[in-house]
Order: sequence, then structure tokens, then C-alpha cells
Amino acid sequence: PPRPPRYKPPATETNPALEDPTPDYMNLLGMVFSMCGLMLKLKWCAWIAVYCSFISFANSRSSEDTKQMMSSFMLSISAVVMSYLQNPQPMSPPW
Amino acid sequence: MKNLYLFIAVLFIPWSFTLAKYDEFEDGDDIMEYDDNDFAEFEDVNEDAVTESPQRIITTEDDEEEATVELEGQDENQEDFGDADTQEGDTESEPYDDEEFEGYEEKPDASHSKSKDPITIVNVPAHLQNSWESYYMEILMVTGLLAYIMNYIIGKNKNNRLAHAWFNTHRELLESNFALVGDDGTNKEATSTGKLNQENEHIYNLWCSGRVCCEGMLIQLKFLKRQDLLNVLARMMRPASDQVQIKVTMNDEDMDTYVFAVGTRKALVRLQKEMQDLSEFCSDKPKSGAKYGLPDSLAILSEMGEVTEGMMDAKMIHFLTHYADKIESVQFSDQFSGPKLMQEEGQLTKLPETKKTLLFTFNVPGSGNTSPKDMESLLPLMSMVIYSIDKAKKFRLNREGKQKADKNRARVEENFLKLTHVQRQEAAQSRREEKKRAEKERIMNEEDPEKQRRLEEAALRREQKKLEKKQMKMKQIKVKAM
Repeated sequence: PPRPPRYKPPATETNPALEDPTPDYMNLLGMVFSMCGLMLKLKWCAWIAVYCSFISFANSRSSEDTKQMMSSFMLSISAVVMSYLQNPQPMSPPW
Repeated sequence: MKNLYLFIAVLFIPWSFTLAKYDEFEDGDDIMEYDDNDFAEFEDVNEDAVTESPQRIITTEDDEEEATVELEGQDENQEDFGDADTQEGDTESEPYDDEEFEGYEEKPDASHSKSKDPITIVNVPAHLQNSWESYYMEILMVTGLLAYIMNYIIGKNKNNRLAHAWFNTHRELLESNFALVGDDGTNKEATSTGKLNQENEHIYNLWCSGRVCCEGMLIQLKFLKRQDLLNVLARMMRPASDQVQIKVTMNDEDMDTYVFAVGTRKALVRLQKEMQDLSEFCSDKPKSGAKYGLPDSLAILSEMGEVTEGMMDAKMIHFLTHYADKIESVQFSDQFSGPKLMQEEGQLTKLPETKKTLLFTFNVPGSGNTSPKDMESLLPLMSMVIYSIDKAKKFRLNREGKQKADKNRARVEENFLKLTHVQRQEAAQSRREEKKRAEKERIMNEEDPEKQRRLEEAALRREQKKLEKKQMKMKQIKVKAM
């Protein structure tokens, strides 16, 4: 016999131990690398920062606000641009 | 009139300058020869030098030393001309002296050998070039980013297709069993959305409820992170598969008290360590299910043998044997509270809340390379879930079993209380001290001295009573001990 439907779904998994920490780590790493790239004028730091912010975006949960993502993305792009404005020479490989 | 005079004066100045220029060259060359070129005065001299040099080279061709010496002399003359450019005046080329070049025998050899060597093009280092090719590292980086973005789009779409394929396959079964299929918690009224709720690019949720005996069922489609290129590369090293996790919350009256789990050995070992209820109630290692006809890959964790007997009926065994490759773990528990919480010592003062739950974790076949068609093979597993819900409702422990179960639960609670005894004592102590302090403050704040005295006396009396009580207790304990 069909019963009246029950209440709404509970807030799914607010347990912090179960959440995947990747987007937060990548966000932090991206910011650190972009600051390094800006301050120390290292081009490869800035490029890694761009990659980190992309990875953080790909792994992000839908509940996370886009402002955080956009800010880290913009910071990494600005790090790359500033490094090239100050030193337009191409990046030399480490080998 | 004044303005006119000014204008004329201004015009006069540049005219005087031009006149001065002419004055400079009065002594020197003819004015005819003069042109605006600054080097006009040296034109004669330069021409002489040009005519002279070929002569010199021709006459001294035989004698190498002299030729080089001539060249040297030529260089010196050029230098003289260089100096003359800066200075004014007409320095003519002076005839050089052979004696001047006596010490220069080494140098001519070096310059001579240089003139015989072929011209070598020096390699300009990459960072000084200005061509696109030198930026190859940057081009590599951008290509990598583009590859990442492409993978993101492809992975996202694939996960989306898989999720909808699953839902389309299972929709009928779910709708026949549940009144409410799909709810995202935003509507005020409970209406079926009939859609999956996308939490992430790789996690999809579905809430079903409105069935007899269960509160609700939460289905989570946990796909692999196909949208993250790093994950895709990591999976090439370590294959993994998509998972479907189903969590059925039972009503309190619809399930008896027991803890039971079945699944792959590896999964059970991990769950036993992680899950609060399995670690507390199922102390033995996972046992093989061969006794009941289960394949070797599956093992059983149970609170007591009676539960296993009750659970392993024919239909369940049929399900488990036929779909053993897709089953990761199945857990029935009345004390389910999720994984063990790693808390600091001072915080754990209460047992975590428990809920009667049935948990199922299934692996999607294909081990990562799944196609939407594979979702159809999961349909029988959903029937197993429905069957388990009904079974859990029907299954009841007998008297012995019930007693054992109750004893177990009491034991667990006692252990927990012992563990936190110290903390609770400390908490009670701190509360008492807070009360005392509050009282004292009240007494201090009372302005009326009379009231103050009375309150102090009241506090003193209360303390004395407490001390007396304690002493009585101690005496009683001593008597009992004796």
C-alpha cells in the first residue's frame, strides 16, 4: 500500500572526514605557487600555479562558491602575465 | 611696435648663427666645398686614404710581413681619422715609420692567421633569439592546458551519460517500489522530481522514499573522476571502478538488533577497521562463506552465528553467488553511525547517534572502461536491495539471540562510559567550580552588607551539608568493605 512520501533527503555527508580534500589542497598550492612566481619572478612557478587552479576547479564540489575558484584562477594568470612582462625571454628547461 | 621689435630680434638670432658657421670655415677649405655634411672637411683626406690603401697592398704583396705591417699602419691611419672626426682641424695622414713596428712580430702572426680562417657563425643562445621556436616550453605548457580542458569536457560528458543510463534502466523498478523518487531538498512539499541530483562532476545522488518499513533510500553514483586528467593518469597505474552506494534507513520498529556484513575480504577488513559498529560488535576476523555455498571471494562478518544463519537464506545466497563480482560489501546494522570519528580525547563525551541502516556497495563492471550498456547489469542488484529490505523487516532474533545482542550493546556502552569517565568527571568538576564562582560574584556584587552576610552564611551552610554527606558515604563504603 502506498504510504505518504517521507521528508526531504538529509544533508548528504557533512562529515569532514569523508570529504575529498583535493580541491582545497590544490587551491592552496596554486596560491602559494603564484605568490612564489610573482615574488621570485620564476616562470615555472606561475605555470604550475595555473595547472593547480585548473585541477582544483575540476575536482571541486558543487557546493563550493565560484568566487574562490575564480580568484585563484585570476591570481595564477596574473602571475604568469607579470613574469612574462618583467622578463620576456622564454623559459629555459631545467635540463 | 614692441612686439615687432621682438620678432625681428628673434629672427636675427638664427641668422647670426648661420653667419658664425661660415666664419669657421674661412681659414680652412673653400666655401664651395662646404656642404651640410659634418664630415665635409675630411672628404679630401678620406679620398686620399682610399686611393692610398690599395696602392700599398699591391706594392707589398710579396713580402708578407710588410703587408701586415702596412695593414697595421692602415689601421693606425684609420684611427687617426677617427680621432680627427672628433677634433677640429685638418690632420693629414702622417707617413708611418717602420721603426715603430719592431716589437709587433707576434701580433702580425695572430692577425694573419685570423685573416686566413673561414668565417664561423657563432650560435646565438636561445634566449637572445626572437623567434617563436625559442618559446617551445611555453607552447608545451599551453598544449598541456588545452589537453586538460579537453579531458575535462570529455570526462564530464561520459559521467553524465553513464549516470543517465543507470537512471533510465532503474527508473521503472524504483518507481514501482517507492512513492517518491528523486528529491533535492529544495521544495517545500515532497514531490518527485524524477531526476538525479548532481553533486559533483563525478557524484550523482538520488533519494527515494515512501515505501513500507524503510524511511528512505539514498543512492549515490560515485563515478571515477574522469574529468580530472591527473586522476585518469593515476588510474592507468592503478585500475579502479565506478561504484554505486545505496544506503537504506530503516524505521526503528522494522529491524531487529543485529550487525552483519558480507563482501569481499579486502573490503570487509577495511570496513572492520573503519566503521564504528563493525569494529565494536564484530570482533572476529571475516569468515569464509564457503559453508553456505558462497564463492571464495566473499567473506562474512557477523555479530553472532544466529544472524548469519538467518540472513543466508536461499534467495540471498543465489543473489550473492551470481553477482559476486559486482558486490563490494553489504552491511546490515542497527548501530550504524558511520566511520569512526577521530576525535581528541577531551571532546568525546557522548556516544555517536546510531541509525538502523542497510548499506550496499556495488562495483560497476568494466573496471573503469564502462559503457552505458553496463548499467543494465546492475538491475538485478537493485532487486536484491529491495528483497533485503523486506527480509530485514521479517527477520527477528529468537530469545537467546536477543539476550546476547542486548548484552553486547550494554557492554559496548559500558566500555564507552569507562573511557570517558575521566572526561565526564572533569566536566562535572568544572561545572561545579563555575557555579561557585558565580555565587561568589553575586555575593560580592551585593551592595547591601546585610544581604551579603546572609548570602555568605547560606553558602557556608550548603558547603557544610555537602561535606557531611560525603563523610556519611565514606563511612558506608568502609562498612560495606568490612
